[in-house]
Amino acid sequence: MTSKLPLDEGSKKVQTYLLDDIDKQLLQFLQDDFPLVESPWSEIGNKLGMYEDQIVTRIEKLFAVGVIRKIGPIVNLSKIGYQSTTLVALCVPENQVDNVASIINQYSNISHNYERAHKYNVWFTLAAKSEEELTYTLNEILQKTGVNQNDVLNLHTIQRFKINVNFKLKNNDV
Amino acid sequence: MDKIDEFLLSELSQGISLTAKPFNNIAVKLGISSEEVLTRLVKLKQAGVIRRFGATLKPNNIGLIANAVIAWRVPSVRTNEVGKYFSSFSEVTHCYERSTVQGCWEYNMYIVMHAQEQQIIEQRVKSLAKTIGIFEYVILYSKRDLKHR
Repeated sequence: MTSKLPLDEGSKKVQTYLLDDIDKQLLQFLQDDFPLVESPWSEIGNKLGMYEDQIVTRIEKLFAVGVIRKIGPIVNLSKIGYQSTTLVALCVPENQVDNVASIINQYSNISHNYERAHKYNVWFTLAAKSEEELTYTLNEILQKTGVNQNDVLNLHTIQRFKINVNFKLKNNDV
Repeated sequence: MDKIDEFLLSELSQGISLTAKPFNNIAVKLGISSEEVLTRLVKLKQAGVIRRFGATLKPNNIGLIANAVIAWRVPSVRTNEVGKYFSSFSEVTHCYERSTVQGCWEYNMYIVMHAQEQQIIEQRVKSLAKTIGIFEYVILYSKRDLKHR
């Protein structure tokens, strides 16, 4: 079974790309069981009963249509010294969202940045090696963006219960 | 983690290439063998530095058009119980307890949910609220990914 997918949430005309069962199987494999070997594409081909070039062509396609963002390591920031993390919400006038976002995106320790449907409309996560560095960076961002201290929510991480962004594709509900 | 590990992670931050032996290029850059690259990656994974090695997908482009942060006001004595309960659902990808801003923002528990449409998220949230008996929450639907534009 295939499903219709929008390619670009921002575009007015919604394009669609059909993921077939092989795509789904391949994506699941690439997410959950990526082989750390010298020739991973050939190894994946062996597992899925396909040739290496068929695997690579499909992956290229999945990159091109925007289904895959990256193939690589997801680093646990807290294990490499980034122990202080926070979720920040800003109240930004609609016409300044893009500008504010591009300032925030200049920082490498930002992992998510979303516009959300709320009075607080810009939400991003920030990681730093200490609370002091976190406060410093956040203040710098506020200064650069011109957002008022009263229009900010700084929601420090107290406890992480779950992070798992592996999506299930094999069943037909996607 | 030594300097080579740091270089390795930094080299891989944009992901691997689709060449036949993608780790070879990196090995050459770092002046080590590709076997060593792979051994290091496996060790980093075992140590939890690498949470996962593989593809990162764009949820919007696999049909999960609706996603939201749902912020809840959970009594502090119940955060562990509720956090574990929220985490047990596959459509919940993140679950965090966070500090509040007194008098302004009293929500202390945050989950991220992905679904095919907003209606599904709304239904799921309503049923979660009923089950845990907590009705003070706000659904923050995402309008746009500002980082990956």
